[in-house]
Parts: sequence; structure tokens; C-alpha cells
Amino acid sequence: MLPLSLLNAAQNKPMLVELKNGETFNGHLVNCDNFMNITLREVYQTNAEGDRFWKLKECYIRGSTIKYLRVPDPLLDAVKEEQKMARELGRSARGSHVSGSGNRGGRGAPQRGGRGGMVRGGPTRGGRGRGRGA
Amino acid sequence: MADRGRGTFRGMRGGPASASRGRGPQPTMDKPKREAILDLSKYVQERIRVKFTGGREVTGVLKGFDQLLNLVLDEVEENIQTESGEHTRKLGLVVLRGPTITLLSPVDGWEEIANPFLAQDGA
Repeated sequence: MLPLSLLNAAQNKPMLVELKNGETFNGHLVNCDNFMNITLREVYQTNAEGDRFWKLKECYIRGSTIKYLRVPDPLLDAVKEEQKMARELGRSARGSHVSGSGNRGGRGAPQRGGRGGMVRGGPTRGGRGRGRGA
Repeated sequence: MADRGRGTFRGMRGGPASASRGRGPQPTMDKPKREAILDLSKYVQERIRVKFTGGREVTGVLKGFDQLLNLVLDEVEENIQTESGEHTRKLGLVVLRGPTITLLSPVDGWEEIANPFLAQDGA
């Protein structure tokens, strides 16, 4: 379970983001990238003291300023299930070809298309991962 | 000799750089999602609020931007918060450095509200 995989899977889910300066943002995740830069929509911003509040239609937050993100608990199970499915699909698709040696097993990661985000059709992109590993 | 070396070097630098900016290697589907997660073009000519590392904050009308999130804002006002209250100072036309920007949101649809979480807790 990689942090950014979880974050990717949290798209369109509600979450709380706390910045290093203590400000918090409650909103639905629109998008994120590998720097953990994120965009949220329908955001409630709270100042560091917790005594002032703002409503924002949408906002962009620089990843390097984030302290942590709170995501819905059920997301963990959803992502685990998704990864399991993807792994099985990936096995049956190219299990006989190229033994699972070296970096293949290392991550145990189903979605080697990690860069591309948790696209539901993940396994189709598997071939790319192999190429990079070799 | 040295001049010639420099000349060719500069030429090469200009070439590939501009080519890559023109999304040369991009669509090879090797990097499926390299594009920015924020489409700033929808905010052009609109007033946006920007916060910087260090806590300074400005609003201004977005005139331009690049892929590093450097921005050009016009009619910029810095919003200064002190213990004695809030005030603004006018800065005019400004280039904002992308890497120092921590927060960006449109002013439209932005408002201070009462604690929205109390109601939820009570319910």
C-alpha cells in the first residue's frame, strides 16, 4: 500500500488536509500528482488557530506544504481489493511469460502503471512496467 | 573556435528545449499523465487568491502562467494581517514565482463563514 496509490484512489472522495502551518482544508479531492500537489473542490478552510473559517469553491495546494491528509477509512479496503483484482488479472494475462524475477516481485505491486495513477483499467498498462524494469 | 563552440551549443540548447515544450516526447504514452493537475486557463482574466511560503497572501487578476506555476497577476493587492487588523497594499502588475506558491483559489466563491463543523457535530 503506497501512500500515493491511496491518494490517487481517493479521487472524488472527501478528505481533510492539514498544512505544515496548521491550516486545514476539508474538501473533495479532484486531482493529485506525484508531488502530492492536490486540487480540492467545495472546500472548508480553517485557520491554524481553528477560530476562523472560509468556504472555497476550489483550491490548489502545493504538496510540499502538506503535513498530512485524512482519508475515509473504507478507502483502504477498496484499494486493497482493487490491487488484488489487478494482480490476479495481471497474472493470468502474462503469468507464463517472463518469470517473476528481480524487481518484478519486489514491490508486489499490481499496478505497475503507478505513474499513471490508479486507472481502473490498470493491468492493460502492465507491459510498460516490465519494460522499465528491464 | 571558442565562439563557434558556444554558438553551436546554444543552438542545440534552443532546439530540443523548444521541441519538448511543443510536447515532442509527450504523446508517446510513456508518460500518460504528466500534465498539470490544475488548469489555470480557466482562471485567466479572473481574480484569484494566492498564498506563499512564509504566509504572505495576495489577490489579483490572472493574466498569464507557465507550467512551473509562475503567474502574472494584474491589479494585485497584498492582504496583510496584523494583530491590529487586516489591511491591503496595492502592488499593481506582478510576476509571482511558482515554487513559492502554496495555495491558489479563485476569489469568486470564496467567503468567510461561521464554524461549519459545529452544526454537523450537533446533528
